[in-house]
Amino acid sequence: MNFEAIHDRLQAISAPGLQGVDLPREANPEDKKDKGRAGDPFVIVDPQQLVDFLLVCRDDPRLKLELLVDITATDPAKDDENLWINVALLSLEHRHRLAVKCFLPKANPVMPTTVPAHRASQWHERECAEMFGVTFVGHPDPRHILLPDDWEGFPMRKDYEFPTEYHGISCV
Amino acid sequence: MGLLENQFEENVLTTKVDWLLNWARLWSIWPMTFGLACCAIEMMAVGCAHHDIDRFGAGAFRASPRQADLMIVAGTVNFKMAERIKRLYDQMPDPKYVIAMGACATGGGPYYKYGYTVVKGVDRVVPVDVYIAGCPPRPEALLEGLMKLQEKIRNSSVIRKPARTA
Repeated sequence: MNFEAIHDRLQAISAPGLQGVDLPREANPEDKKDKGRAGDPFVIVDPQQLVDFLLVCRDDPRLKLELLVDITATDPAKDDENLWINVALLSLEHRHRLAVKCFLPKANPVMPTTVPAHRASQWHERECAEMFGVTFVGHPDPRHILLPDDWEGFPMRKDYEFPTEYHGISCV
Repeated sequence: MGLLENQFEENVLTTKVDWLLNWARLWSIWPMTFGLACCAIEMMAVGCAHHDIDRFGAGAFRASPRQADLMIVAGTVNFKMAERIKRLYDQMPDPKYVIAMGACATGGGPYYKYGYTVVKGVDRVVPVDVYIAGCPPRPEALLEGLMKLQEKIRNSSVIRKPARTA
């Protein structure tokens, strides 16, 4: 199935949390600041219902998006008030993919964990949590995965300030 | 050798203690099996037959710091690893030597500016004897670094500890 067919199917089964689509588009020649967007078409999903959405995508016989390729986040800009949670799904049986995007406010980046849908998301969410400061409620093992346990700050945020000293080792 | 001349049988040699100990040490520098990143691949190449670090008596890569004389810091050192490196260095018996191999271990390398977790030079954690340039250094460069270290050991004395740079 292509993206339109997947989106139609998601609407037909009224997938929980489905909010719309984000399609690649051409740049507007009238507006110099508008550069357009390349890349995959996304479906936009409410982050609080992402786990239910993934469960539906996994179990629906027409979609069967049973492989979780990635969960990651994006900090689009310093003055943007949202983080993006990006999920990549793959169906081995039907040989189609789906990209999912959630908008999560930076002021309160809390969302339920997606581990009930895909156990593979544990490590992705741990990385996402330490790099972007997203709290995944209900995560079974919410430790850091790459950084030291006592690391301060979230390095992939646009407003991250580099440390000057760590355990007596100068960082400058 | 006036007094000692012809005093012993023919199979006895006389030498200085310094010379003997340095000779023994510099031809048996046992490195630790310890690689952090891509430089470790070059270090493995040095250990293999083509470059053959065994010519210098330094081919016995030890799996324990307690049996090693030399730590080749081959790769990027980050803060999480830095404390482990310090501990491994402390576990090595004296005399012990450190080679900082490549740009990352020498001074942070390509991660100098934006690597928030990268230590900008392993000499901020442990004292380094020889720095090797390159990203990664050629195997020949590591061998030259080893020869520099041998030179340093050759000029050291048993009583006086060799001067460390860091």
